[in-house]
Amino acid sequence: MPDSAVPPPAFAFFALNRLGFGARPGEATALARRGFHAWLEEQLKPPPDDDPETAQALDDAQLRIKYAAGDPAKNQNWDAVDELRPLGALAQPIDALWPAVAERDKHDGAERRRPLLEVISATLIRAVHSRYPLREAMCNFWHDHFNVDAWDSEQVAVALPTYDRDVIRPNCLGNFRHLLESVATSTAMLYYLSNHSSRAGAANENYGRELFELHTLGRQAYLNDKYDRWRDVPGAPEGRPVGYIDEDVYESARSFTGWTVEDGTAIDGGRKLPQTGRFAYVENWHDGYQKRVLAADITEFQPAMADGRRVLDLVAGHPATALFVCTKLVRRLVADNPPAGLVEAATRIWRDNLHAPDQIAKVVGAIALSPEFAASRGAKVRRPFALVAGFARAGGLDLMPTEPLINTISAAGQRLYGYPNPTGLPDDKAYFLGTNSMRARWQLALGLAQNSWGTGAFHPAAVMDEAAPDARGAAAFWLTAFTGGADPQQAAAIVDGMGLAPEQPVGPPGAPDTEKRLALIAAYAAMSPGFQSC
Amino acid sequence: MLLSRRTLLQSAALASGLVPVPGLVLRAFAEPGGEKPILIVVHLRGGADGLNLVSPATDPVFIAARSTDLRVAADGPDAGYALAGSPDPQTEFRLHAAAGGLSELYGGGQLAFIHAAGLTDSTRSHFVATDMIERGVADARGLTRIRDGWLTRYLAQERATGIAAVSAAGSVSGELLGRADALAVPDLGGGLAPAGGPQAHEVLTGLYAARRDPYAAAGREALGAMTTIDGHVPRDDKGAVIAYQPEPGTAYESAAEFGRPLKALAQLIKMDLGLEVATVDIGGWDTHEYQAGRFKAAVGRLSNGLAAFWNDMQRYHDRMIVVTVSEFGRRLRSNRSNGTDHGRANVMMVLGGQVNGGRFHGGWPGLAADKLDEGVDLAVVTDYRQVLTEVLRYRVKKPVAGVFPDYAFSGELGIFSV
Repeated sequence: MPDSAVPPPAFAFFALNRLGFGARPGEATALARRGFHAWLEEQLKPPPDDDPETAQALDDAQLRIKYAAGDPAKNQNWDAVDELRPLGALAQPIDALWPAVAERDKHDGAERRRPLLEVISATLIRAVHSRYPLREAMCNFWHDHFNVDAWDSEQVAVALPTYDRDVIRPNCLGNFRHLLESVATSTAMLYYLSNHSSRAGAANENYGRELFELHTLGRQAYLNDKYDRWRDVPGAPEGRPVGYIDEDVYESARSFTGWTVEDGTAIDGGRKLPQTGRFAYVENWHDGYQKRVLAADITEFQPAMADGRRVLDLVAGHPATALFVCTKLVRRLVADNPPAGLVEAATRIWRDNLHAPDQIAKVVGAIALSPEFAASRGAKVRRPFALVAGFARAGGLDLMPTEPLINTISAAGQRLYGYPNPTGLPDDKAYFLGTNSMRARWQLALGLAQNSWGTGAFHPAAVMDEAAPDARGAAAFWLTAFTGGADPQQAAAIVDGMGLAPEQPVGPPGAPDTEKRLALIAAYAAMSPGFQSC
Repeated sequence: MLLSRRTLLQSAALASGLVPVPGLVLRAFAEPGGEKPILIVVHLRGGADGLNLVSPATDPVFIAARSTDLRVAADGPDAGYALAGSPDPQTEFRLHAAAGGLSELYGGGQLAFIHAAGLTDSTRSHFVATDMIERGVADARGLTRIRDGWLTRYLAQERATGIAAVSAAGSVSGELLGRADALAVPDLGGGLAPAGGPQAHEVLTGLYAARRDPYAAAGREALGAMTTIDGHVPRDDKGAVIAYQPEPGTAYESAAEFGRPLKALAQLIKMDLGLEVATVDIGGWDTHEYQAGRFKAAVGRLSNGLAAFWNDMQRYHDRMIVVTVSEFGRRLRSNRSNGTDHGRANVMMVLGGQVNGGRFHGGWPGLAADKLDEGVDLAVVTDYRQVLTEVLRYRVKKPVAGVFPDYAFSGELGIFSV
């Protein structure tokens, strides 16, 4: 969409799918009328808070929580709970949620899992309702990039609301260096990559390694054949090494010693960290001696956190980081095999805006306005989460997240906030198109249409423009709603497979059977190949 | 779990009228036939601490480098299982105390260890090392040239067709990269038919029939495989799946989340669909901190899972080879989080009815400072490709070439007895 200000509706439909989570009824037409540039500009500068409709949906949302009373003989002092509870953890500071892990004898495990389930629910609700779907898509991207597994760790689960709200969300279109330090000091990441327990002496290398390999420079810049010969790294003598070696990992691990969490750990004889779950810097766990990272000397005994911040400066500003992260952005927004020219252009913008507060927005905007983007329809798989959100948006479904729905999204290959490897979810269609995943994808569409998981009744007739369409017309309507067009062969596959006569009305308007049949037609349209991609 | 399993196994073997080796069903049920054994690759994802699994328990360097609970004790209440056939006459090797099942299999002669095995490249990146091992290459240059998995190349040589390759996982493992008909089946508990019954199947078949894009191709592939496999899932007269019945005494649940894919794999193998190779994953090995408890749990899952699978597959012992891989081992010296960071060499395991087990194969470099890789890690003395090549050669009873590009097989380690 590089030149014309008024895009054709087909482009608008595509853009809403790729840059967000699908088109609600009428949304593509409205975007086309308004113009892509204007829409994109608004998307790239969303107000900090949720729009009123989304905020209302979040306020109205309730998620069941159920557990048995604790066993006093095991010092478990809690009452049984079975209730529909609002998403109350979302806005809480970490110290209000931390007692669930700090005072285990007062809380059932479901309370430790609860913040995770609430964030997943809120993510779904935002994707369905938001006026700023690009922000939601970018939060999704950064959560994958700075992956944590909240399903495997109670501390990460409890820290997830602040990780999403205070770390990822406000920075998702902002400045990378700022985002990077927010992540480095987050309870979720400090636990997930175990830096919270790293100490001078034999530092824990987990965060240091993934900082280089996954968060910044990327594995293409890992020059492990030069293991301990840093002077041999091209550019190193001039202070601009092109890549990193294991010694950089070791030294940066030393730099982050003492970056930890207030989790009650004993510091020395008489002192203990408080139990709040907040970030803490502990000077006497820090390795204060001189270090050398990426050919830069870090002088011994710097002020608190200065070593770590220096490392973050070095990696955030490194050209390999620009290339690595921009490649990932283009892969997410354009194609699994990112076009080299576009990556190069994005990298240039990234590097020209290293200190800009809207560095990421500038890069994303340029990618979205590129001809490569406009030419990439159908190039990306619709991931399971987007499949659900897209069904709800196009189907006018006021989706209420439930645990069975969340579990089916997991079965389709996307356990939200729960990918076990720090790489984050693969951004490659092959990963999502295996036998088992396809089966779960189809199940998702069918289950939403039939309200199999208590996610809310689907009212297809209310969305359709005709009260009593014939079968072929209904199939065409739902194929258009979900895929942007109605291929007659696809419509015939639905009508014939259901044994319906193409020109017969689906049923008397308003009759329960008619509504059921329409729901099934819509489900099949969403199970079609056209809705698997975007 | 171990005691009851032992009891059940013994009674099963006794019922068959054979004198059992204590605790193990050996080859009592093996069926004749010239079929090639099914190759099952178990991937210990995250870099398992081989030094804590098969420990050089009495090596003074090891004792000095490791906190007490990150090595296997040679005596006392937490002592691990003693292992016959140490690769180093000076050192007593012991198996982790949570690996009772593996100890039985080793003692029974079905399980062999190849210690100090791994990549010749010194990468300490999970993801680079995993890619290398899955694609069967030696270094980063290999990764840029070779885009498919080593099992994919092997199957192409075998001209395998049908449901030849399965990952018992949510997605197809990298060893099968490029094999379009490889299946990912993590669970068969609910059968494999699409939701929505015959009508949905009919509609989907129509929707996915004609289009030529990767999504339609994936849908067709899935529908075909689902039809074939679900056709072998027993159902009652109401169409509900009849729960799978493993062999008596099989305790997949004792392996927690590792049990489910193993059970699905056992079901698939028993369907006799022509399966040639399979992969299974077990995670939880990236123990940078608090290793003692986490590692013990992971070893328990691994050991119980393989023991359960072995028991369930008792009619197939001579027709299966299980080989374990992990991207790298872990640092000799533990860190101050009471964990271990990324290291180099690891232990590989080979399990099967015709394995020359109960012993180590390949060399052991020792842990002396001048023998360590970069001065910090157990050095690789056996290229992982040597082990895998030997397994493939055994499977087809002839030399194999082209599976591991640029690799010259340096001879048999003697992993197989027949």
